[in-house]
Amino acid sequence: MLFPTVTFAVFFLVVLPLSWALQPHQRAWRAFILVASYVFYGWWDWRFVFLLAASTIVNHVLAVAMHRTEARARRKALLALAVAFDLGLLGYFKYAGFFVTQFDNAFGTSWLVNATLPVGVSFYTFMAISYVVDTYRGSLVPASFARFAVFQAFFPHLVAGPIVRASELLPQLEAPRDPRRVNVSRAYVLIVIGLFLKVVIANHLATHIVDDVFAAPERHSSLEVLVAIYGYAVQIFADFCGYTNIAIGVALLLGFEFPQNFDAPYTAVSLQDFWRRWHMTLSRWLRDYLYIPLGGNRKGRILTYRNLLLTMLLGGLWHGAAWTFVAWGGIHGLGLAAERALGWRPTSPAARWFGRVLTFHVVCFGWVFFRADSFHTAGQVLGRLFTAWGQGSPLVTTSVVLAIAVGIAGQYVQPGAAVGAVAVFRRLPALAQAASVAVALALINTLGPEGVAPFIYFRF
Amino acid sequence: MRRLPPSSAGRAVVVLFLALAFAAVLEAEGLRKQAEIQPAGFERNLALRVTKPLVAFSRALHLTTPRHDLQVAIGRGGEDRIDTQVHLTLPPPAGPRPRKPKSAKHPPKPPVVHRPLFTAARPLRVWVAGDSLAEVPGQALERVGGAVDVVGVESRLSTGLTRPDLYNWFTRIEQAPRQLHPKVAVLSFGADDAHDYMAGVPEGRSVGPLGSPSWNAEYRRRVDGVTRELIARGILVVWLGLPIPDGPGFRRSFPIVNRILAGVAAAHPGKAVYVDTWHLLDDAHGRYTAYLRVHGTLTLMRLPDGVHYTAAAGDLIAAQLLKQLGAFYVLRA
Repeated sequence: MLFPTVTFAVFFLVVLPLSWALQPHQRAWRAFILVASYVFYGWWDWRFVFLLAASTIVNHVLAVAMHRTEARARRKALLALAVAFDLGLLGYFKYAGFFVTQFDNAFGTSWLVNATLPVGVSFYTFMAISYVVDTYRGSLVPASFARFAVFQAFFPHLVAGPIVRASELLPQLEAPRDPRRVNVSRAYVLIVIGLFLKVVIANHLATHIVDDVFAAPERHSSLEVLVAIYGYAVQIFADFCGYTNIAIGVALLLGFEFPQNFDAPYTAVSLQDFWRRWHMTLSRWLRDYLYIPLGGNRKGRILTYRNLLLTMLLGGLWHGAAWTFVAWGGIHGLGLAAERALGWRPTSPAARWFGRVLTFHVVCFGWVFFRADSFHTAGQVLGRLFTAWGQGSPLVTTSVVLAIAVGIAGQYVQPGAAVGAVAVFRRLPALAQAASVAVALALINTLGPEGVAPFIYFRF
Repeated sequence: MRRLPPSSAGRAVVVLFLALAFAAVLEAEGLRKQAEIQPAGFERNLALRVTKPLVAFSRALHLTTPRHDLQVAIGRGGEDRIDTQVHLTLPPPAGPRPRKPKSAKHPPKPPVVHRPLFTAARPLRVWVAGDSLAEVPGQALERVGGAVDVVGVESRLSTGLTRPDLYNWFTRIEQAPRQLHPKVAVLSFGADDAHDYMAGVPEGRSVGPLGSPSWNAEYRRRVDGVTRELIARGILVVWLGLPIPDGPGFRRSFPIVNRILAGVAAAHPGKAVYVDTWHLLDDAHGRYTAYLRVHGTLTLMRLPDGVHYTAAAGDLIAAQLLKQLGAFYVLRA
């Protein structure tokens, strides 16, 4: 089920009041929200509900067994089993086709694997891994089966994050949510901003310039290619930030707090700063469950660079089974290592602006590999930047430039402005709040292109 | 109404209900269109039943005006119009086609066909149109460049020849030659037509389920009508067949469409061509495969849905298409 659809609106109209009606009866609520989440997930392909349920059962059983045993070796073995199961799941559905093909091409064999990628598998698998690792470390006491099942399948975060930690969500599942303390204003402001970003900005850029240019770069002028690269930077931000804004807003209406996932990433003054602002829940997951266990920055300069590079290469591979994603991760890993080697920490206003412009362009360079379907296409896109100036650029329209400008300038709006908007909305009577949300929804629906394109991060 | 505290679950629910109700009234025309274009079945019937009074209410209060005015302002004035007319201006053929003379011993030599030359300086204008399966082969043709000038790739998700209410391709196919002046029209339809429901059926006629004689006859009438409209404007028509799909459902329905497309193309020799993507993309045993070897390297051909093409499959189809176009034109880069 996609958020910006009539189907989801009807689904949520039913789920929201029932969820609050059942909150005082926690057992019934957990059963209800679990079924609702499975319906939400199964709307796409009901068969994969069983996969999600299997992941829940296996991780819960192993986490409980780990918690009950004192023997270190046995705990370690149980952790290894759980992580192997999770990575096996991810490996089969996401990477088997890719790696078997590489093997076949290298050795002339034909062991093809045709597996359909279940939506959201990368997200709920990472949540499961953090759950079992935290249990192993002793920082988490396993929850009841029903609570863990709701934690993993809770529909607002299920298919594209944010990657919520057990320590963030499980405590909220311990007791009924207080119906007198729901951040209604922030929720609706986030949902409206998220829908605008996805339906108007991201879809407009995808259909009016980005898809055309990346499909056949050699048919387009240098200016079109440059604007398409900037356009994709804004598209992927608007698409993913839009989705998580809606997810956070929907969760807030249900009485739950999710962590922030984006913080104006294109205002970052360095790559390190960028990763504190972009897909923040993935960044901290990679930091806590990969970079730090690898040794982090505690084992000398060279090993720190290695750890940065490895973390980002694997982060790239998490996004998709293709070498272009690995290259994207490599660009960020090398950039982070270079910043560390140079001690790049801009402080003066001029240096910070230079850092912003430079970081944005390094990120855009990485996006070329992220978006292109092959190195050949990425090379064509980059090559075309220098070889076709002066040609006509019919795809560079006012609306495309406006969408890019809004997507970037919006990130420079001070957080105070958003807080102010929430405060103004909060002071309105319920009827006026509803009317303003309705007008915003109508505007977004009219301005957006026909049909709903899937969210980019669904395929990860 | 009892005053609700600004941060309460009750307010969250009330605002949601009222906001969606207000938005539904403001967007009634859009919702009506969405209801119309859904696949036939319970959901569509229900949506139509709900949106009919909604549109009437919204119109009575003139609340459809803001949406309409905004659409006009951004150049999308006709978006909510639902056009189910199957515009085929040419009358059907007068009678059965003349049979080929029976002379097995000395079959007549095929006439020497003059193949016009196209170059990068004077390229062949190609228009690609159809459902979502048209996009990738269209983009692959764009990459060919040189003697091939793709004047447009028009790919519209979930559309086809059975649902003019969703998007009226008959109207578009009538307009496009005047605007784009193509020499070749590459059409990819059928993936979203392989279902029972058909809109725009002439009054007094009914159409049975997919594959029934009446369904086949009506679909053939549409495919043939489109083909003859384009041929009458001097355009060579290329029908891209549907590829072998993963999964049993489409594997039954796609061949029904393919038989009709291939049959219509065969009925217009020299003026229409059928490109068989089914056998282009199956494996050595005639089964579905996501990968094929291209120059010795296993290459992913299909997206995870088991239907749509990757860019590599697009290149393969474009190469096959150009090979078949070679019977009509000399293409020199």
